[in-house]
Amino acid sequence: MPSRRAVMLGGLSSAALPFPNAWGATARQGAVELRIVSMDFGLAETLIEMGLPPVALPDPASWTQWVVEPALPPGIVNLGTDREPNLEILAALKPDLIVTTPYLDAIAPLLARFAPTKTFSVYAPPVGHAFDRSVVATNQLAAALGREDAGEALIARTQACMDEARRHLAAAGLAGRPVLAVNFLDARHVRVYGAWSLFGDVLERVGLVNGWTQPSNYWGFSTVGIEALAASPASRLVYLEPIAADTLGRLAASPLWRSLPFVKAGRVIRLPAVLMFGMLPSAMRFARQLTLHLAGERNDG
Amino acid sequence: MADTPWARRRARAPSRLGAAALVLGFAAIGLAGTVANLAMLLPGGGWWAAIVRPDAGLPDQLLAAYSFAPRLVVSLLAGAALGLAGAILQQVLRNPIASPTTLGIESGANLALSAALIWMPGLLGFGREWVTLTGGLLTIAVVFLLSRRSGFAPLVVILAGMVAGLYCASLAALLALFESHYLAGLFLWGAGSLSLQGWEEPLFLAPRLGLAGLAAILLLRPLALLGMEDAQTRSLGLSVGMVRLAALLVAVALTAFVVASVGCIGFIGLAAPALARIAGARRIGPWMLASAATGAALLWATDQMVQVAAVISAQMIPTGAVTALFGAPLLLWIIPRLRLPPAAAGSLSVQLGQSVGRPGRRLLLLGGLLLLALTLSSLIGPTATGWSLALPGDPSSAWALRLPRALAALAGGTLLAVAGCVLQRLTRNPMASPEVMGVSAGAAGGLTVAIFLIAETSRLEQMLAASLGAFLALIVLLLAARVSKANPERIILAGIAIGALLDALVSVLMASGDPRAILLFNWMTGSTYGVDASTAGASLLAALVLLALLPLVRRWLGMLPLGEDTARALGVPLGAGRLLLLMIAAVATALATLLVGPLSFVGLVAPHAARLLGLRRPLSELYGAALIGAFILVTADFLGRTIAFPWQMPAGLVASMIGAPAFLWLLSRKQDLA
Repeated sequence: MPSRRAVMLGGLSSAALPFPNAWGATARQGAVELRIVSMDFGLAETLIEMGLPPVALPDPASWTQWVVEPALPPGIVNLGTDREPNLEILAALKPDLIVTTPYLDAIAPLLARFAPTKTFSVYAPPVGHAFDRSVVATNQLAAALGREDAGEALIARTQACMDEARRHLAAAGLAGRPVLAVNFLDARHVRVYGAWSLFGDVLERVGLVNGWTQPSNYWGFSTVGIEALAASPASRLVYLEPIAADTLGRLAASPLWRSLPFVKAGRVIRLPAVLMFGMLPSAMRFARQLTLHLAGERNDG
Repeated sequence: MADTPWARRRARAPSRLGAAALVLGFAAIGLAGTVANLAMLLPGGGWWAAIVRPDAGLPDQLLAAYSFAPRLVVSLLAGAALGLAGAILQQVLRNPIASPTTLGIESGANLALSAALIWMPGLLGFGREWVTLTGGLLTIAVVFLLSRRSGFAPLVVILAGMVAGLYCASLAALLALFESHYLAGLFLWGAGSLSLQGWEEPLFLAPRLGLAGLAAILLLRPLALLGMEDAQTRSLGLSVGMVRLAALLVAVALTAFVVASVGCIGFIGLAAPALARIAGARRIGPWMLASAATGAALLWATDQMVQVAAVISAQMIPTGAVTALFGAPLLLWIIPRLRLPPAAAGSLSVQLGQSVGRPGRRLLLLGGLLLLALTLSSLIGPTATGWSLALPGDPSSAWALRLPRALAALAGGTLLAVAGCVLQRLTRNPMASPEVMGVSAGAAGGLTVAIFLIAETSRLEQMLAASLGAFLALIVLLLAARVSKANPERIILAGIAIGALLDALVSVLMASGDPRAILLFNWMTGSTYGVDASTAGASLLAALVLLALLPLVRRWLGMLPLGEDTARALGVPLGAGRLLLLMIAAVATALATLLVGPLSFVGLVAPHAARLLGLRRPLSELYGAALIGAFILVTADFLGRTIAFPWQMPAGLVASMIGAPAFLWLLSRKQDLA
């Protein structure tokens, strides 16, 4: 993967200049690479894993805050917000393909004015398993790019990654343990990831059990007060960065929080950021982080 | 002598029984809800023991002791604090519209929290309360500064407070807009969730509220004297300014503690004192006590009902947004029953009469300015490699992307300005505008309903829904106006209630995390993004048709502000004229809201600016305001597209960044003139 990225760097550095004339002048060496614009981080990480990184993204600077891995190649053009990508830049980029999600259906006809626009659905009604949908969307994306082999390879890699994590966690004696996966919104509220979420699906695939069984929305999460976690049988809680500075201190002062089984057992585990609304690469990252922090039982809570 | 404001004219003897019945009524609902919730939580009984001595091994008992019980206490404390804060503010400012919400204190505190979360999360390590306290104090300080020259005249303070509050809300919206949709914590706080996991919040609130309450008791006598004329009060040896300042500080502190502790709890501070007054508490001591008690009971009842609903729907519902959702209609019911002072808007009245100088030349100049702004905004702009000129004719030119947006902004600005002008003349109220009167909110509400009920909405359906919403808001306003004989303050109050209703609706939707809510929110900030040539053309045509029709209603616009008797004497058919003008305002607002969102301030600012330029006759004021409104929004659209390139800020929001300070500046200038 790194070698392929290195190969592509030459092409990408010129991609940093979204100036109409620069495009004609830069003759691509080797195979014709598709100039893809991705409106979604989940699709972008999938593209990167398939060796076809996008030339432009909304707010690429926040990638390190939410996605981290796979690393974003340098020189990705910033489109602004995903709800209102900058059309003037989009026009100057002259992309071959725009990939987007149902979340942005409202602007899809607008985007289609600048390049063929394809929508891939993972997080959309009706509720469905994010992992399974990601597999389908990865196949569709690969087919749209004529790179079915890269899609299949990514799916196989993800499956292998899940199996490996399952082995590690089983070896650590954690098979079948209920785990809660949350983001702290503040010291009183969490977003907890349910059965349909990517995290929930990964928990099941690596041989753990999702400790949150309440129904969630089609993004796979529920927003609840922390007291609602008391109903869960989970013996472990993993929370993902980012987390506000005062959250842990305030939690420590709450008797209810301290009485929760996973807090009493000292099994509150901090994980670095993983894209909660991502696709297969995020599933892999989440599985690897789970293995790393749970099997080692590194406790940062 | 110690009456609450505007109660003196009532001949009936004050009945404390009414206020007590009110409090008991709400308390009964709260108690029923509490019993229901405890029965669901601890079906086996033993509630008191569970709360006092929870068995650490039983999660249900821990929940009762550390979540349910502190939440109940906080709802009582926060409700009482907000009720008292509202009563103090209303007494000090001698204004029944005064409240932590309408003075911008809540919005200011919330903005400070949002800013700290995004830019200086380390600050929160010191405690959220200091951040929100600073925000609330800063906001009220700005409001004071702006109203200082008027000696804190009630209407000026409210005006400054409302505009400052809306300004803070716009800024917080801008911050949230640039945050990724991955985090919804900001909205949660803004919506006022009472979910708790320990006794820290009650323990934080209780001593602070106790101190503030003590200060309020000490201020009781001086506050009672404030109910009289300033001259009388001064002759009694009271420093009016100092008493007001001290009381205001107490009220701000009460509010800031609540916002710091649990977030924005809308409308309790407005509804509780008003309800207490209607129920018969009129002497200041009992009234303040009743306000606090009503606030406590009201929030208690609401929060228990919210918890019942949350169990049934398996969804978290933020209590603060719900109080606003119920508080707003309650207020609409109250309005006709409120006793208001005679309008004290001398220095702020709409200046009518002859235009100064040569209006034709001024209008021409404004038109030239607008044309220049339009041309520049579509021709020049930044690209990834620097600023460049985009000429028409070149098919790849960004010109084709920019012009429709600029034209849509122009049309939106024109329509809002005309609506504002008509409303200000019609109601003889300088605060009137589609934004402040809830007409924009009505249009936005109609659109919200359409977006959430209909899967796919076409532009025409959106237009219809928005118009319907605007009409509905205006009908509610008309009813309020009919009952209160078109008293300007009442109309504004009804408008605020409608605006708060929309705010609450959007807050509930935002807190649910539904992505459609975020799209809606995006639209509500007033973006011209994605306006195509045909939409821009149609909007422009609509604006031009409206401008062409204006001479037909010139007579009514000139007559109605002179007062009903004069107008009737001059043979103006009052009902028909007023209805037609209101319809014009509604349609113009609905169209404009679709283009530039509900919170641009242009409808409020443009007519003032036109009059300031000496354009005071109906038609020249209307056309001047239209040109100014269009200019503000075209400029705002240009700034929004360019200053943070490649990020784009919505034109409506940028316009409010220009419009709100401009209005506040106007406000202080007018005080100078007066």
